[in-house]
Amino acid sequence: MSLHRQWLARIGAALFAVFLLYPFTALFTRIGPWEWTQEIRSPALASVRVSLLLTSLAMVVIVALGTPVALYIIRCTTRERLVWQAVLLIPILLPPLALGILLTLAFGPYTYVGTSLEHYGIVMTNSATAFIVTQVYVGMGYYVLGAVAALDSVPVILQKQAALLGLTPAKVFLRVTLPLARLGLAVALTIAWVRAIGEFGAVVVTAYYPSGMPVQLWVNLQSFGLPAVMPLLIVFLAVALPLPWLVHVLAQRHRHA
Amino acid sequence: MCWRSAIAMLKAHIIKRRREFTVNVALELEQGSSLGLFGASGTGKSTVLACIAGIEEPDDGQVDLNGDRFFPPSLPLHRRSVGYLTQEPGLFPHLRVSENICFGIPRNGIHDPEQVRWIETLRDRLKLGPLWHAPASHISGGQARRVALARMLARKPRLVLLDEPFAGLDRDLVRELINDLVDWAHTLGFSMIAVDHQAEVLKRLCPSRVVVLEKGEIVQSGSWSELYNSPATALLRSLLAPL
Repeated sequence: MSLHRQWLARIGAALFAVFLLYPFTALFTRIGPWEWTQEIRSPALASVRVSLLLTSLAMVVIVALGTPVALYIIRCTTRERLVWQAVLLIPILLPPLALGILLTLAFGPYTYVGTSLEHYGIVMTNSATAFIVTQVYVGMGYYVLGAVAALDSVPVILQKQAALLGLTPAKVFLRVTLPLARLGLAVALTIAWVRAIGEFGAVVVTAYYPSGMPVQLWVNLQSFGLPAVMPLLIVFLAVALPLPWLVHVLAQRHRHA
Repeated sequence: MCWRSAIAMLKAHIIKRRREFTVNVALELEQGSSLGLFGASGTGKSTVLACIAGIEEPDDGQVDLNGDRFFPPSLPLHRRSVGYLTQEPGLFPHLRVSENICFGIPRNGIHDPEQVRWIETLRDRLKLGPLWHAPASHISGGQARRVALARMLARKPRLVLLDEPFAGLDRDLVRELINDLVDWAHTLGFSMIAVDHQAEVLKRLCPSRVVVLEKGEIVQSGSWSELYNSPATALLRSLLAPL
């Protein structure tokens, strides 16, 4: 690429970044002094804790369940794969509010599943469990679809060579498949995290309490107006961004670069 | 340094249906001997090797090695003790050369003095010393083939399958690698099946016995001199003719 074209590409990329980040200039809109009083700060910080802790737990569930499923799907025939892709797309295609309503109806106290779970002390509305389950439903499709693409990119012959060199399937996964797919898996996990931690529509129906950050933003907007939303927005960005970004940094750190 | 003294046999009957024709080949091989599979491109030679290694699964037939049933049912690859080398070295790009070579050695065996000596022998004979700590993704094609050969032999497989592993390499390097392989086959006692469409290369690797395939079927089997003196088909005659 010539120097001239390189600069054109850079300018194009910079314009793209400006377009992407333009909405954040609204943070500097004159809406009066931001409010961060004790009355606002206390529930806001509680919502940060709820979001970080419960979304992390949801991610553990997503990775633990989604990775074996992704490994299964990459070994399926093309026809079976298409069916699986449809299955994974259904929950993420639905408007989040609709998903929230379906989850409440399916796991709520009026169904056999809901009452059975309540019998064992697992309450599926307005509880930490409801929050995690909702986030799992919201993020699972993104993670598994991304993980399938990532795992599929690892050449099968390398995995077979590793097996011929005496490695059991589990060791082949840990020593060959996982390291070679790590960047794609990191992207899949990041997208699932971003989608889940920012989820409002489904969570507001299934788990208004404990309130996560998106619900708290809504509460602040309703109760105190925009001046109480802006500081929480900054906090949201500050706490939600580092984890997925760190995953990317770790995944891209080539051992031999 | 022979780790298997008992004479054992590979018995393989591979039936694999392909779009153009069905590969239907029966082979027998004594422990420590070598067999060349010769024929034009696309005659099913590589399919036979891939089915023995387990890279592909036969549609029918039976494969036994030293009394172990490989197929059917399909024996997991990690239990086969088979070395498989192709044109594509298939190195693990996220590992260094040394890590690739020691990849198949169990952790408890990595410090075994005999194992260490064997790895050092491979390193020195294949001139891998200068590359030892290099990332596998940063070495040339010829170097990668040498590393792949060392990696395969590091575990001392009982059967070595070679699918045109030296195609595209310069003649001097091919000669060296063939000499090393033949030498190790004698000292270590492994059996070897090699595939090539270059008679000259195959004859050096497997000088005693050759099997010729055409459209998935064996058309001739015997010594190289028989092959040269009375080729069974016109295609075989043209393949053996000098350029």
